[in-house]
Amino acid sequence: MDIGFVKRVIFTSIGRKFVMAVTGLALGAFMLVHLAENLLLFYGEKAYNGWVDLLLSNPFIIYAELGLAAVFLLHIVTAVWVRWEDWRNAPAGYEERRWQGGRTIGSATMLYTAAAILAYLVYHLVDFRFADHSMGFYAMVTGAFRDPVFVGVYIAGSLALALHLSHGMQSAFQTLGVNHPKYTPFIKLGGLLVALTMAGFAMISVYFLLELDQKKVEHHYQVAATEAR
Amino acid sequence: MSEKKFGVTVRVWRQAGPGEKGRMESYEVKGVDPDMSFLEMLDVLNEDLVRRGETPIAFDSDCREGICGCCGLVVNGDVHGPDEHSTVCQLHMRRFKDGDVITVEPWRVKSFPVLKDLVVDRSSLDRIMAAGGYVSVDTGAAPDANSVPVDKDDAEEAMDAAACIGCGACVAACPNGAAMLFTGAKISQLALLPQGGPEKAKRALDMVEAMDAEGFGNCTNEYECEAVCPKEVKVANIARMNREFLLANFLSKR
Repeated sequence: MDIGFVKRVIFTSIGRKFVMAVTGLALGAFMLVHLAENLLLFYGEKAYNGWVDLLLSNPFIIYAELGLAAVFLLHIVTAVWVRWEDWRNAPAGYEERRWQGGRTIGSATMLYTAAAILAYLVYHLVDFRFADHSMGFYAMVTGAFRDPVFVGVYIAGSLALALHLSHGMQSAFQTLGVNHPKYTPFIKLGGLLVALTMAGFAMISVYFLLELDQKKVEHHYQVAATEAR
Repeated sequence: MSEKKFGVTVRVWRQAGPGEKGRMESYEVKGVDPDMSFLEMLDVLNEDLVRRGETPIAFDSDCREGICGCCGLVVNGDVHGPDEHSTVCQLHMRRFKDGDVITVEPWRVKSFPVLKDLVVDRSSLDRIMAAGGYVSVDTGAAPDANSVPVDKDDAEEAMDAAACIGCGACVAACPNGAAMLFTGAKISQLALLPQGGPEKAKRALDMVEAMDAEGFGNCTNEYECEAVCPKEVKVANIARMNREFLLANFLSKR
């Protein structure tokens, strides 16, 4: 049994970037699904809790969670390794240095947005995943969204994620060798759209902070009252 | 007769030898002609230094027409100077004005140790080439011309990759000191052609491993390399290298 090809994945520059890219794309896909789930909050308590109950009734959900944690860890470990090497090998000592227009705000801040996302992730897990669920998931989430401090952190997290993905999505394709004069412009645009979609998380929290859901309910009552008259 | 001659101050990196401590030093250069190239301005300065009994500034140059890949300086923070997609030998003094202070530095890359002043050792790039940047050709009678059909677009793309002059600007400009554009171009110029086919997998694996062994950084796809490359080599070549490497790793017998 020759495991040379596995060693190459772990110990070569392109191998590690390959792991980073694949896990990054998987995490991007997860974020889209996660956002779709969160959009159920707009449909009210019954719809949201119904979906959460369905998810939790699956006996394999714990393995899915562990798998997701493994993907996160692989992405972080390979990224730290790659960046550690880059840090050691980066050109150093230029008295004057001007960037030539290749970098974007997203690409130049990958490390910082990554740190922000990680910090946010820990906060998010403590606040939601390992919190008291007895009041019901809808009440827990919307309750948190009424707190301006939480919403502030939540918005900052979504912004960091959007900035991270604005470079990360197209970068993952390039790393996997998917670069084609026909398709690359679409990949770049698609990556930006996915990044922009992450603003959806912030939008949901602001919706509940401004108590727009209550106004919707009031509006329903008014309509119902008018109709009853 | 061109415009009036002028004077500039150059701040140059001086380093006596490999591993020695270097420092920036200032020199006045008078009688600069706007039609002079940047390197000719340094020649004028060196003549002056020799006349004064000082050691002239060492810098690399050969063809001075932008095709050999010898020269390479960071001028005022710009790799190969302020002109886009150009070598520093093609930079002219008309880009500067009287009284300018010009900062001149070598490539400051770990894998390109400074030999003296502005001269760096780029043999790490040669070692990447030696690992597989060639095709093996059997001896014997020369094959008939045009016996191997090549798609015109592939031939053009291979030529665009082969335009790389190995100057190392991509490494000097990279935030991570990666040599991916260089190695990508050298793998691509052969991967695109049928002649490079038989050794494709071995080449991709060996050259990437050689590149890593030289201590270059990893690519974070920031494309600063493409922005400075004097030969406008495209980052699509890096993607091709990634593809060649991953396919070779997972699908070849190696």
